[in-house]
Amino acid sequence: MVATLSCSQKDNLTEVPLSFLSSDNVLNSKQGFEQYITGIHEAARTQLNMIDYNDGFINLQQGTDVACNGELALINYGNWVTYLTPTRPVVANYWNWAYRQMLVRSNTVIAYASKPELSGIWANEAEKNAIIAEAKFFRAYTHNFLANLYGDVPIVDTIYSAPKADFVRSMRKDVYQFAASDLEFASQWLPETVDKQHEGRIVKAAADHLLSEVYISLGEYDKAIASASKVINSGLYQLMTERFGLHKDEPGDVYGDLFKPGNQNRSSGNLETIYVWQFEDQTPGGQGGQNGAGNPSLRYWGPFYVNVKDPAGYNMLVVDSLGRSVGGVRPTNYFFYDIWAKDFNNDIRNSEYNIQRTHYYNNPASPWVNTPVLEAHKANIDTFRMLFPRIRKVLGNISWKGAISAVNRGYTSSDFIVYRLAETYLLRAEAYMKKGDLDNAAADINKVRARAHATPVAASDVNMDYILDERARELITEEIRHVTLARTGTLVERVRKYNMREDTRTTIQDYHKFWPIPQSAIDANFDAVLTQNPGYN
Amino acid sequence: MKKLSLFFFLFLIAVLNVFSQQTKVVSGIVSGPDGPLAGVSVSAKLAGNTVATNEQGKYVITANYADTLLISAIGYTPMQISVGDRDVIDVDLSERITSLGEVVVVGYGTQTRRNVTGSVTKVSMKQTENLPNTNVTQALRGRVAGVQFIDNGRPGQSGSILIRGVRSLSGSNAPLIIVDGIFFNAGIQNINPNDIESMEVLKDASASAIYGSRAANGVILITSKKGSTEKPQLQINLFSGAADRAHKVKLLTPERYIERMRDYNIQAGLPAAQLSDYLYPSEIANMEAGHVNDHWKMVSQNAPLVSVDASMSGRTKKTNYYLSGSYTDEKGLMLNDQMKRLTLRSNIENQIANWLTIGMNTTFITRNESGTLPAASSNIHPYSTLYYDDGEPRQYMLPEDQVSQGNPLYNALLNKNETIINNIFANFYAIVKIPKVNGLQYRLNYSPNYRWDHNYNFFRQDKHESSNTTSAGKFHREDFDWVMEHIITYTKQLGRNHRLDLTALYGMDGRSSSSTTANSELFASDILGWDNMSLGTLFTTTSSASKQRGVSSMIRANYGFKDRYLFTFTMRRDASSVFSENNKYALFPSGAVSWLLSDEGFLEKNRLIRYLKLRLSYGAVGNQAISPYQSLSASSITRYVFGDGGTSSLGVYPSQMPNNNLKWESTYTGNIGVDFELSEGRIGGSLELYSMKTKDLLVQRSLPAMTGFPSVWTNLGATTNKGAEITLNTINIKSRAFEWSTNFVFSQNKNAIRHLYYSDADGDGKEDDDINNRWFIGQPVNVAYDYVFDGIYQKGDTYPPGYKAGDVRVKDLNGDGNITAAADRTVIGQTGQPKYRWGINNTFEYGNFSLNVFINGMQGWISSIDLVGNGLQNDRNFNRIDHGWWTEENASNSMPSLIYTNPLGHGYYMSRNFVRLQDLSLSFNFPGTWRKMLKLTNARIFLSGKNLLTFTKWPGADPESGANQNGIPLRKMYTIGFNVSF
Repeated sequence: MVATLSCSQKDNLTEVPLSFLSSDNVLNSKQGFEQYITGIHEAARTQLNMIDYNDGFINLQQGTDVACNGELALINYGNWVTYLTPTRPVVANYWNWAYRQMLVRSNTVIAYASKPELSGIWANEAEKNAIIAEAKFFRAYTHNFLANLYGDVPIVDTIYSAPKADFVRSMRKDVYQFAASDLEFASQWLPETVDKQHEGRIVKAAADHLLSEVYISLGEYDKAIASASKVINSGLYQLMTERFGLHKDEPGDVYGDLFKPGNQNRSSGNLETIYVWQFEDQTPGGQGGQNGAGNPSLRYWGPFYVNVKDPAGYNMLVVDSLGRSVGGVRPTNYFFYDIWAKDFNNDIRNSEYNIQRTHYYNNPASPWVNTPVLEAHKANIDTFRMLFPRIRKVLGNISWKGAISAVNRGYTSSDFIVYRLAETYLLRAEAYMKKGDLDNAAADINKVRARAHATPVAASDVNMDYILDERARELITEEIRHVTLARTGTLVERVRKYNMREDTRTTIQDYHKFWPIPQSAIDANFDAVLTQNPGYN
Repeated sequence: MKKLSLFFFLFLIAVLNVFSQQTKVVSGIVSGPDGPLAGVSVSAKLAGNTVATNEQGKYVITANYADTLLISAIGYTPMQISVGDRDVIDVDLSERITSLGEVVVVGYGTQTRRNVTGSVTKVSMKQTENLPNTNVTQALRGRVAGVQFIDNGRPGQSGSILIRGVRSLSGSNAPLIIVDGIFFNAGIQNINPNDIESMEVLKDASASAIYGSRAANGVILITSKKGSTEKPQLQINLFSGAADRAHKVKLLTPERYIERMRDYNIQAGLPAAQLSDYLYPSEIANMEAGHVNDHWKMVSQNAPLVSVDASMSGRTKKTNYYLSGSYTDEKGLMLNDQMKRLTLRSNIENQIANWLTIGMNTTFITRNESGTLPAASSNIHPYSTLYYDDGEPRQYMLPEDQVSQGNPLYNALLNKNETIINNIFANFYAIVKIPKVNGLQYRLNYSPNYRWDHNYNFFRQDKHESSNTTSAGKFHREDFDWVMEHIITYTKQLGRNHRLDLTALYGMDGRSSSSTTANSELFASDILGWDNMSLGTLFTTTSSASKQRGVSSMIRANYGFKDRYLFTFTMRRDASSVFSENNKYALFPSGAVSWLLSDEGFLEKNRLIRYLKLRLSYGAVGNQAISPYQSLSASSITRYVFGDGGTSSLGVYPSQMPNNNLKWESTYTGNIGVDFELSEGRIGGSLELYSMKTKDLLVQRSLPAMTGFPSVWTNLGATTNKGAEITLNTINIKSRAFEWSTNFVFSQNKNAIRHLYYSDADGDGKEDDDINNRWFIGQPVNVAYDYVFDGIYQKGDTYPPGYKAGDVRVKDLNGDGNITAAADRTVIGQTGQPKYRWGINNTFEYGNFSLNVFINGMQGWISSIDLVGNGLQNDRNFNRIDHGWWTEENASNSMPSLIYTNPLGHGYYMSRNFVRLQDLSLSFNFPGTWRKMLKLTNARIFLSGKNLLTFTKWPGADPESGANQNGIPLRKMYTIGFNVSF
């Protein structure tokens, strides 16, 4: 008994996790680093679908010149003053996405890869630097996003193993500068191309493309031009001018081919794309996001046509070719009509293959099936949300996970193009324009316009507004428009001019050029003052 | 430290053993209120003898001078009596609840009530035996001062228990449950209430410190029944009942629903001239056809309850046994909510030799909680269409499919669920009386607790969907806990004046858990359900496992001088694997003194004061109620698919911030208690005052997003809990035929945060609050911190930019003309726990009838509740709480308009105060002549009503649990029951 009582307490109380990993036991092989890089890619894609609808991505498209909130009952940007507040969920959602997902994952890879004790796992310096380069690309992508949207933000360049509550905001230009130095490194060490199995990974051109944008924000136009030129002159990319891909024999045009299912990745023959978010149906990890259902672009951008009744009283039906779009993001008439101007009929980006302007009743029970919805009918139809031209770019194969739920039949398994060469041209054009070299600016824009069969722009007509219009024509649904306008400082003025909703146009204030800093971040950071953007109190 | 205390202990035993061990013969008669009692067990602790009384109630036993006789019989309060010089000891056993000789379980042993030094409340199961309780917590609700039990309305679920308020900010606040001396991690809902002999609640540090690191939230000791009479007893209990909602949520009537939809359109500037402007065609069609949904009928079911329980118990000279079985079939109010529970118990103890007793208490429990409950049920609007013509549920309630308002019944009807929870819990023990050393005893406990449960789901094909909707999931989990303890106790009477009682413990424990989930989707056929998951197309499997270990040693000394000055000293040392490498161990000391004033000369002759005891205690207990691995850095996994048609790649990312310094939380409690009995026991009770300080709080602290993590487990700051508890038992009227007695409990607890991070970043000389976590120095742990509601902006008022009439006005607290987050939010009130709790139980006995009325209440708390609906989508066709709304014509000053968008994100707060008639029961005991005729020892029939009336302003489903509009309502139950023993 005495023996029992005094028996040794050498019982092992050390904890050894049984079913979860840690950075220490994964980041000690090259494979481990690859897994952490995959983790960052997954986070990056959720920028598009981490939150469905109200509090998510639609906020980065609505409240702009080209799109407004289609659902009148949704309060998003209906009244800017009472909507865009520091406590509004979306404001924290993107802030948290940036810091809690993107930066912590990127910084972990950067911090561990540089550890001297791990030097043995790398075949050579280049192999190590390629890993760091990919993480740095994402770190720069995130800092750039934050600075564009929120203005001055804290730079986070390390990982924390203890609580910290004294962050301060860095000047916006310092954030851009930090992003630029990450991208310079990334450009140097990233591979030029990846094989088919790795499509979606970051290549050198992605870093150069983004670096060009960041240099513009820094006012370093020559460097911006040089970076964009690296992509354009690399010999790897070209604007597609001939029909290609899986659907090239169907009626259509080359601009439409760029977005057809299966045509986004380079191996499909699409030599224009640089960085693509990957979606894959019925494969674990292929969808991501809140509903695990895939790419929600169709759901957001298309008209809520199931609510349209034909003159006999039959509702239109959801069909897989069109999906169940709900008009959450309603493109403005400025986009549908004004920006095409005299090229309305010849610009292929406005062709019937790319913007469908005639709709057909589709209820087989009705005598009106397959007949067009005529102007005369429209008097009785809500053409703000239920019926408006359909941007066909967002169509795709309805994902299975989306299909099992009627409301979600708006998710596709189409890959999402983040960067492509047409935008690189437009970034270089922007840099030339800012620098005062309108001839070269016009030349770049005309590269893009020529492919679209649009009339060339005269150098004298090139200005920021023209470039933003051109970006809308070329990149609608692809570029994150709200961020583009915030980056170029044109948000407030263009919303006042072009947004379609009177309440959205009239309530925007000058201070809305930046989003507010989330109140939750300010409250949590009690060891230092995280200042709020002016106007938000 | 540990070795030293052991030597000290053995030395004491040696010295004390020199004193007398002489034996003698003691005899006497044991009587009950109706005369001598046969078959009563009388045992002499030290001598180790046990005898039973004969038909005349007489016993003869050999005992030591220093011995204590334990006299016990079923239905009577056991007594302990010191032998001393007496040769004849006659004993009156009483059925009364309060009795000074009552044996109280104090953890690793028992004491008589008069010798207890700490704050221990005994809950007699007699008080609630006429109540149809299928769960132990129901029996305790509102009946113990300082203890809050919250029933969550679900059949067979445990609800939550809180003793003396909230200490920990984010660690668990659940008390430690000890069943027959062993940690019970399986959930109190696994225990058959009829197997329980008694429950003790340990509240102060002195009482609970013997459980050291786990006792910070208080301890509940549950003791299962034993056999106590030689004549085998067979007892059968049976009850059956039906239930309805205890408290109804006021939802929109069809008329009000239409009004609301119309008013929304008017306020939003949308057409509102005719019904079709704001109702959908299908709604109008339903309205015209007179099809109105009663949301409640659609989602609820009849809720009958049946419980049967049988036990057999008895004892022989050497053996003591209790065998029982119970079956409960209980349905909840919500569709598919149900619980079936089967329990079996076997408690057997055998005295193998004079020096060796071996026993084992074993229980098996299986609970079936299968069923998929409806989702947010109150959303069903009056004119929605829930079913297709063929009876299949629709996915959405509007056939037009224009509004994504899901049918709450969709999952409940298409998903099949099976949830089974099994548990085997055993405690094997051996008690060795050390030969030649009187009073020295060794006990070994080995107790495994094995649980296995599963949860299967199958979602069948929706016949009206073209896509494949099938999916199945099988979840299996196994838990194995074990405890091994070595306990030495030594009891010694030194002469007449000194009594010593020593206990030492060395124990080890472990917990391990593992689970596997297999999912399969896209079934080729749905006829086999989850039983053949290979019929699916897309498979995922996940699993997890964890382990934790603990090591404990403890020593306790009780010393009594002249039986009126009582001292207790306890020291426990615990180690747990869940803490960081450098902080595995911690020490928890405590001490207590009590003084029996009523035994002093100056009070001995006092006729009013029969019993008066003063208690003082101080000590430390700990909290380790966090999951394993919280101090470590951790990473989670995800997946991504590169390339078209590619394979799935594993992604890993950091998900948990490490904390190399995570350590024990400790609570230091000072307690002053007074126990009293006045006027021949007509008035009795106790008063407790306590002050607790908890430091190094285990906290899941929210972090700024910029750190990369949402939160981290850490120790910080300090909280205090100060309070008072009053228990008062009175016999108001006592005559030959009629007795009216009252039991009143009241408790008040004031909880405050004293320190957080010891930081003063703003340099104002006061420690900084943590606004993001809603933690404020000087305020309770759970508070509502928000803008202060100040009415509604009316037409003609000056509005801030962007505001309009019908919007909420909040107070400009600092009067600077602006509403800012920094200056205009404040602490509005206490949430989470009430300031005051009370319960009053009245028992009226007349002849063979007994009427019991129990009322309880809680006051001084608020909660936020959604009264306005989703500000983002107010036009959508939801039903909701009808709490009114602002219109131009009916300009409310308490509720905003329907288009108010809540730019500040403030909440709406309502009081959760309530008073409830919780139990009302009437029972009839069969008179002796009937029983004789029927050859029954005992028979009783009872009628009972539970939660019959609730007075509250809370608009949600239940104020006590804080259930909101969609919460599960508490059941109002009517039961009839029958107890018989022979």
